[in-house]
Amino acid sequence: MSGSGEFAEFLPAYLAEADELLASAQKDLLAVEEAVRKGQAQPRAVRELFRALHTLKGLSAMVDVEPVVSLSHWMEASLRLADQAGGRLPESSVEPLVEGLRAIELRVRQLGAGKAASPAPANLLERLEALGPQVRDAAPRRARAVKLDAEAAFASRLAPSEREQLEGGLAGGQRALRLDFVPSAERAAKGLNINTVRERVAKLADIVKVLPLSGAAAGGASLAFALLIITRAEDAALLDAVGGPPAVVRSLEAPAPEEGPSSDAAPDAGGLPGGAILEEELDEPEVRRGGGLLRVEVSRLDEAMEWLAALVVNRSRLTRAVAALTQAGAPTRELNAILQENGRQLRDLRSAILRLRMVRVGDVLERLPLLVRGLRRATGKAVRLELDVGDAELDKAVADRLLPALVHLVRNAVDHALESPEERQAAGKPPEGLVRLTCHTRASAQLELTLRDDGRGVDANTVAKAANAPVPDSADALLDLLCRPGLSTRQEVTRTSGRGMGMDIVRRIVVEQLGGELRMDTRKGVGTTFTVFVPLTVTLMDAIVFECAGRRYAVAVGTVEELIDVVGVVRPAGADGVGLVERRGAAVPLVSLARLLDASVDPGAVGQGAKALIVRQRGEPVAFAVDRLVGQQEIVLRPLEDPLVRVPGVAGATDLGDGQPTLVLDLGALGAARAGRRKRAPRSGEWVT
Amino acid sequence: MNVLHVLFKVDGTEYAMPAADVVQMESFTGATPVPGAPSHVAGLVQVRGRVIPVVDARVRFGLPAGKPSLDSRVVVGQLGERTVGLLVDSAREVLKLDPRTIQPPPPMVVEGAKGFVKAVAQVGPRLVMLIDFPRVVGEEAADVDGQR
Repeated sequence: MSGSGEFAEFLPAYLAEADELLASAQKDLLAVEEAVRKGQAQPRAVRELFRALHTLKGLSAMVDVEPVVSLSHWMEASLRLADQAGGRLPESSVEPLVEGLRAIELRVRQLGAGKAASPAPANLLERLEALGPQVRDAAPRRARAVKLDAEAAFASRLAPSEREQLEGGLAGGQRALRLDFVPSAERAAKGLNINTVRERVAKLADIVKVLPLSGAAAGGASLAFALLIITRAEDAALLDAVGGPPAVVRSLEAPAPEEGPSSDAAPDAGGLPGGAILEEELDEPEVRRGGGLLRVEVSRLDEAMEWLAALVVNRSRLTRAVAALTQAGAPTRELNAILQENGRQLRDLRSAILRLRMVRVGDVLERLPLLVRGLRRATGKAVRLELDVGDAELDKAVADRLLPALVHLVRNAVDHALESPEERQAAGKPPEGLVRLTCHTRASAQLELTLRDDGRGVDANTVAKAANAPVPDSADALLDLLCRPGLSTRQEVTRTSGRGMGMDIVRRIVVEQLGGELRMDTRKGVGTTFTVFVPLTVTLMDAIVFECAGRRYAVAVGTVEELIDVVGVVRPAGADGVGLVERRGAAVPLVSLARLLDASVDPGAVGQGAKALIVRQRGEPVAFAVDRLVGQQEIVLRPLEDPLVRVPGVAGATDLGDGQPTLVLDLGALGAARAGRRKRAPRSGEWVT
Repeated sequence: MNVLHVLFKVDGTEYAMPAADVVQMESFTGATPVPGAPSHVAGLVQVRGRVIPVVDARVRFGLPAGKPSLDSRVVVGQLGERTVGLLVDSAREVLKLDPRTIQPPPPMVVEGAKGFVKAVAQVGPRLVMLIDFPRVVGEEAADVDGQR
């Protein structure tokens, strides 16, 4: 393996990324495991797991960690099938996935310790490869009932997944063993320590867990390690791997499976004579050099945000109560002064907490050079990546969601947009293609990211043909086509760029998850520019509150271009209730928000709204008629996480202090979604126009 | 071992779900409708600072939506990481059900109830339907291609 040498500079970024991906993959795999055990489907976790492995594979390919690429490749392949099967996995597939993830983790650790990753165990690869057909057939075979020797296996120290892995190994016809290794100075001098033993054993067996034991161990040593393994190897080979006696091999299979209800909570001291005591996990904690930086779990920041959010809600109630007092003639001058001071403090606190959550865009994008480097190798194209991101900062939550979209755009640019060096020279361009990413913060608390390539441009005719649609007449229409689900999907998994996510995912992330905007500008032979607008933060925002059809709604101030009085509406025939209003010499379409929200509203009532909010919908201004403006205030945006209520056009909910959720609308997306829906037959209970 | 169940009524029929899956019960004062959500979603309510979707049991069971009354309750259930409310006509009783009295539902019921009823329990002279809460709540996103 060329390993670390060539890629040393990228290794820290890779390790950090891999760590995070593994952590989330483990979480999702646990969720999948639990669901599988209950015989349920777990589509979201399966998909997340699939994505994590997909990304991990891509990253590992870039730094040339072949064992991890192979492992994640087969895991990804089977998970893709499971995803297509609605998130259903046969019970027998969990085991190999758990082992696969563990094997990946082991190799990432090896890299982190400055070593080369050991080759992927061939038998594990075979099992992972065999998963695909299993998932497809989804014919879960019942495992043979086996029972672990609780004492020998330290049952109380085993995670359920580890226990299952051992039992699964037994059920699958392998042997589950405990192999004790006793280190000594003499052995260390011969290069035999727990790390090398691990590696040697890993070649013969799948290591489920390594437990350090202290206290008098076999052979009189004071320290020993117990390796719990699954294997088909012979005892002699295993003993040899751990340096021979005083090592011991013990079977973990309980001699008499039909034993009575033995207590699972066996005391820790089991296993070794002389009351051996288990110590904490073997792996030394990884020390990260922070340079005065503190790594904080995002959940703790979120907690602080929650409390702040509660304060904000409370303050708006307080403000109303004081206003009511003032109205009733009470002397509230001092109260008002305090209230104002309180408002300032709240704002300061808010910006302080928000700053805590901000990460530098440059740090977020540090992975892109690595990506481009890998793509360069994989495609054989000459590419230069220019990053010009300055000091711009972005909320961590936004950054995490945005990154996959950017990765996809960059990958597309290199994979599809840029021509081969020969092609470029023939077209009179420099042989080396350019991909340039710039970003800056806009006044409206938005970040604008621009990704430009000097490639061949998007050919509208080709896209139209692939989508089986008429040739689009504008860049927006072309982008719409590109973002059709499935358009760019390639069915086979390739090692280089994978099948990739479609542009539809990019749009979904930018528009639906982040409430941002995606635009494209392309010129044949000259290049393509994607522009992404995303809010810097998604939690607290300034909103315009208004009333429509008897309900209050909020909309982000940043998205509203103008508030107008609705006068002089022109209603063209056949426009399905859409009117036109004049705004600075141009006609702007006017739609009734009431009707958009509830189709049962009489189209004749359109334009009865007294006010309208002008919002850009796919770049074009559209006026949404509402009944009454209530005011502008800071609100707490609560994203709607449940799939039942995750709908386009609704950015989330907020509490205006009345204890009822108020919808926070994304008018542009709402209008666009309606326009999209018009094309299909309505389902019952659905609002249509 | 008897298992504690929460009992509630929808259109005169008694239903039950394990109390372990119920976070709390709230009176119902109306929900904020969500345009574009599936028709059986009554809307959003706020429960102890959290915003959760409420499924209208009547609509889900194919009945016309009822008028909220003083008896209306939102049974707030926990579904893994999801918290979802179920709007029912009334919910007053918590009862221990003997597993021996719980039987699979007759095939006709299975067919008619779209899998929402997973068992029938006999409580004295009364028959109580044990609902399959995850299935009643459903996971269908409103959007047809509702990936995340």
